[in-house]
Amino acid sequence: MPEEEMHRSERLKHLGYEPPDESDWVTGLHPMDELLRGERLPHIWCQGCGLGTALTTFIGALQWLEKNRGWDLDKVAVVSGIGCTGRIAGYVRLDSFHTTHGRAIPFATGLKLANPELKVVVLSGDGDIAGIGGNHFIHAARRNLEITVVCVNNFNYGMTGGQVGPTTPHEARAVTTQYGNFEYPFNLPYLAAASGASFVARWTVLHARQLEWTLREALTHPGFSFVEVIAPCSTAYARWNPEGRGLDPEGLGRRGLEVMKHYQRVGRTMHGTHPKDAEIRVNEKGEIVEIIEGKFLDDPKPDLKAAIDRQAALAEKWWLAEKKALDSRPRFPKRTDRVPRTEVQLGGFGGQGIISAGRIIGQAAAIYDGLEACFTQSYGPEARGGAAGAQVVISSDPIHHPHLIQPTSMIIMSKEAYSKYVPTLAPGGTLLIDSGLVKLREDHRQDIVTYGLPATQIAEELGNNRAANTVLLGFWTAMVGVVRREAMRQSVTDSVPPKTLDLNLKAFDIGYEEGLRQRAGGHPLVGEG
Amino acid sequence: MSEPRGLLTGEHFLMGDYAAAEGAILAGCRFFAGYPITPATEIAERMSVRLPQVGGIYIQMEDELASMNAVLGASWAGVKAMTATSGPGFSLMMENLGLGIMLETPCVLVNVQRGGPSTGLPTLVGQQDMMQARWGSHGDYEIIALCPISPQELFDLTIRAFNLSEKYRVPVLIMTDAEVGHMTEKVVIPPPEEIEIVHRPQVRRGDVEPDHFRIFRNGRTAFGNGYISPMTAAGEGYRIHVTGLTHDERGYPVMNARAHEWNIRRLVNKIRAHRDEIIQVEGKDLEDAEVVVVSYGISARTSLWPIELARREGIRVGYLRLITAWPFPDEQIRQLAKRVRAFVVPEINMGQMIREVERCACGHALVLGANRAGGDILEPEHVLNVIRQAAGREVQWERPTGAAFESAEE
Repeated sequence: MPEEEMHRSERLKHLGYEPPDESDWVTGLHPMDELLRGERLPHIWCQGCGLGTALTTFIGALQWLEKNRGWDLDKVAVVSGIGCTGRIAGYVRLDSFHTTHGRAIPFATGLKLANPELKVVVLSGDGDIAGIGGNHFIHAARRNLEITVVCVNNFNYGMTGGQVGPTTPHEARAVTTQYGNFEYPFNLPYLAAASGASFVARWTVLHARQLEWTLREALTHPGFSFVEVIAPCSTAYARWNPEGRGLDPEGLGRRGLEVMKHYQRVGRTMHGTHPKDAEIRVNEKGEIVEIIEGKFLDDPKPDLKAAIDRQAALAEKWWLAEKKALDSRPRFPKRTDRVPRTEVQLGGFGGQGIISAGRIIGQAAAIYDGLEACFTQSYGPEARGGAAGAQVVISSDPIHHPHLIQPTSMIIMSKEAYSKYVPTLAPGGTLLIDSGLVKLREDHRQDIVTYGLPATQIAEELGNNRAANTVLLGFWTAMVGVVRREAMRQSVTDSVPPKTLDLNLKAFDIGYEEGLRQRAGGHPLVGEG
Repeated sequence: MSEPRGLLTGEHFLMGDYAAAEGAILAGCRFFAGYPITPATEIAERMSVRLPQVGGIYIQMEDELASMNAVLGASWAGVKAMTATSGPGFSLMMENLGLGIMLETPCVLVNVQRGGPSTGLPTLVGQQDMMQARWGSHGDYEIIALCPISPQELFDLTIRAFNLSEKYRVPVLIMTDAEVGHMTEKVVIPPPEEIEIVHRPQVRRGDVEPDHFRIFRNGRTAFGNGYISPMTAAGEGYRIHVTGLTHDERGYPVMNARAHEWNIRRLVNKIRAHRDEIIQVEGKDLEDAEVVVVSYGISARTSLWPIELARREGIRVGYLRLITAWPFPDEQIRQLAKRVRAFVVPEINMGQMIREVERCACGHALVLGANRAGGDILEPEHVLNVIRQAAGREVQWERPTGAAFESAEE
C-alpha cells in the first residue's frame, strides 16, 4: 500500500513508530514525540505559559545527552510535586513520579540512594520547592546527593489561581496581595548556593537555548545541581502585574508574549555573578526591572557515593569483628531446675553502669541460663547524669507482666536510688549496696537483709572505678544465686570493652568471692543472714 | 539485591527496637530513612550500623515528611524500605503514607507509640494512635497494622509486615509501643533459609512489551491477580508514570467519578478480598468463655495475669489477641458476641479499638473497656476488676500481693 493511502496509524507504524494506545493518540510526529506521552496531550497549561518551553528545553537536553553522551534514557527518572510544573512528570515518557506537594526532592533522594545508576531530576514549581518543600530543598543542597533540581519560578501559585508565594517580588500583586506584597521573596540561586549546591544557574524561558545548554551541564554535574527557570504565568501573575500589560492589556492570549518581551528588556546575562548579587530587582510598584541570568556557580565537590562506599568497607570490618565475637560464644548446658518469678531492681546515677549491669543479668539469664528474662530501664534525661534505674524479671515461665511488682533483690549504688527503691523491696528481700557510696538511714528497714561492699573502692584499687558495677554483679550472683556464675561471667565478657575484660572479670570474681564469704559468714549489715 | 552477608542468626538478648531492625534486615530491607524520635530512635540507630554491613543504605532525613517520601522513592527503585517513628512523627508521615497507599508502594512503617496528643510523653508508653493508624491519612483506604507483644514478636512481625507489604503492594504499619520497643528479651533468629521471604512480583526489563505494561492492572495477569498487580522499578525501561492523583491503570491522572470509583475500590478491595489471609489473631480458652478479653500489643500481654487470676476465681475468661489490629477481625468478634456475656477491652488509651469491638458485638454482648491514659502499662488489678464486672461479680480494689502474683505466673 502506498504511504499516502495508509490510515494515519498505519503510516506511523510504517515509519517505525508504534504509539502506545492508538485510540487516544492526538498528536502527529514531532521530534520530541519519543519523550512525550502523546496520549496525555493536550497538556493542561494555559496559552502563553512558560512551562512548554521549560519542558522542551529539558527534553532537548536529554536528547542531546542521549545522542552525544550515550545516555540511556530508561535510566532517567523525573520526580515532581504538585502544581502546574508538577504536571511535567505526567507528560514526559520517562519513569516519572508525581508526588505530594513539596515532597519531590525527598522522593528523589530515596530513588537515587537506592539505585545510584539512575539519573534523577526534580522538576517542580517555586511554591513546591521553595515554599512547602523549602526545607527539603536546602537539605538536598547541603547533602550534595547527585540529583538535578529544576525550579520553574512564575512568582505565584498558579494552579490555585495566583496566590502570593515565597518568590513573589516585594510590592507585586497577587490574588491574595491585592494591595501589594509586603513580604520579601527568596533569591533561589543564593539560597541554593548558601545551602551548599555546587551548580547554580538561572534563565528565563526566553533564553531557551542557553537554558538547554545549562540543563545539559546541570544533568551531568557530579553532585547537587540547581537551575531556576523564570517563566511567565500568563493567566494569574501577569494579570495583576505590569509585566503582562503591554500592548494587549485585556487579551488573555498575549499576556505571556508581553512577559517574554519584558524578559527581553530586563534580562541581563552575567555568568559567574555571586549568587547573592544575582537578584531579581523590582521597582516600588513591584514591577521587575532587572533579572540577572546565567551560570553562577559550577564548583564540583565529591558526591556522597564515594563516602558511602568507603564507609561500607568499614562497616564490613565491624561486622566481621562482631561475627567473630558472636561465633566464639560458648554454649552452657541447659538448666533443669525451675526458677520462680524473680525480680531484680538496680539503681544508681548515670555513668555507674547501672543500665549495663541490668542488661548483663538479663542476658546471662536469657541466653546462657536458658531462662525467660525481661530487662527494662528508666529512660531519657533521667539516665544521663541523674538517677538511673534498671529492672530485670527472671523466670522459668513466660513473663506476662514486664514491670516489677515487688523486687526480691536490689543493687543500689546511690543515695537517691536508696531512697527511691528500697521501700519497694519485698519483705525478706536482699539489698546489696555499695557501702562506700550509700549510708544506711537510721530508720533503715529491718525486715530486709542488707549486705554491703565498697565496690567503687575495690574497682578503683583494681585500676578502674567504672568496674564497680561488675564487682556488685559478682556480689549479687553469689548472694542471690538465681543466675549461674559462668553465665554471668560470659555475659560480662560479651558486654565490656575487650581492653577492660580482664579487669572486669577480676572485679566480678572479687565480688563473687566476697558474696560467698559474707553469705557463709551470715554477717549482713542489717537483718537476718 | 545484594549477597546475603552480615545476617545475624541465633539467640540474642535484644531490645525490641533492635529486634525490629534485625527483622527488617532478614526480610530484605536495604533502605531506611528516618528522623530521631523517642522511643523509636533505637531502630534508626541499629539500622545505621547494620544496613551498611549488609549493603544497604541508611539516611537520616530532615524530617518525617521527607523520611516517608524517601522510603517511597527507594521502594520505587526496587529496594525494600522502612522507616520508624513515634506519635508526632507519625502525624507528619500521614501525608505520604497516603501517597504510598495511592501509588501502591510496598514499605513498612513502625510506630513505637508513646503518650500523646502533641509532644505528650516522649519516653513513656501509649496505645493512642490506633485509630490514627486506620484513618490518619485523608481519604478512603484499607491498611494493615500489626501489634507485637515482645521483642521476639517485633522481630517476627517485622518480617511478616514486609511480606504482606510486598504481596499486597501496600505500606504496612507495625503499631508497637514504648514498652515493647524498649524492653530487652531473648530473640531467636532462625537461619535465613528457614525464614519465608516474599518479594513483590516485579516486571523487569524485557519481561513484557513496555507499551502493554499496566502498573495498576485489575484482574489476573502472569504476575498477579485480582487487585494486586505486578510492580516495576525505575530504570527497568517501562517508563512508568505514577501519581497521587486519581488515576487509571496506566497511572495516568483521570479526574472523574468513574475513575475515582475504580481507583478507590481497587485500594480497598485488595485488602478486603484477602482479609482471611491477612488477619491473624491468637485465641485462648474461648470455647467455654463467658467473658473474652480482646486486646493487642503490650496490653494483651499484661492481661494474661489478670485473666489467670480471674479464672482462679471461677470466671470463665477467654483471651483474643489482635495480632493484626487492621484489618479488624470482624467475623471472629461477631461469632463470639453471639455466645459470650461480655467483652473486656484493655488498652492504654481512652477507648479506641473498643469501638470496633462494640461495632462487631452489635449489642449482643456487653463491652467494657479497661483504659488508662499513657505513661504506664495497665495495672493487673484494674483489668481484673473490669473482668469481674463483666462477669457480674463484685469488684475489689485490692492490689494482689507478690505471693498471689508468683503463683499466678506458675
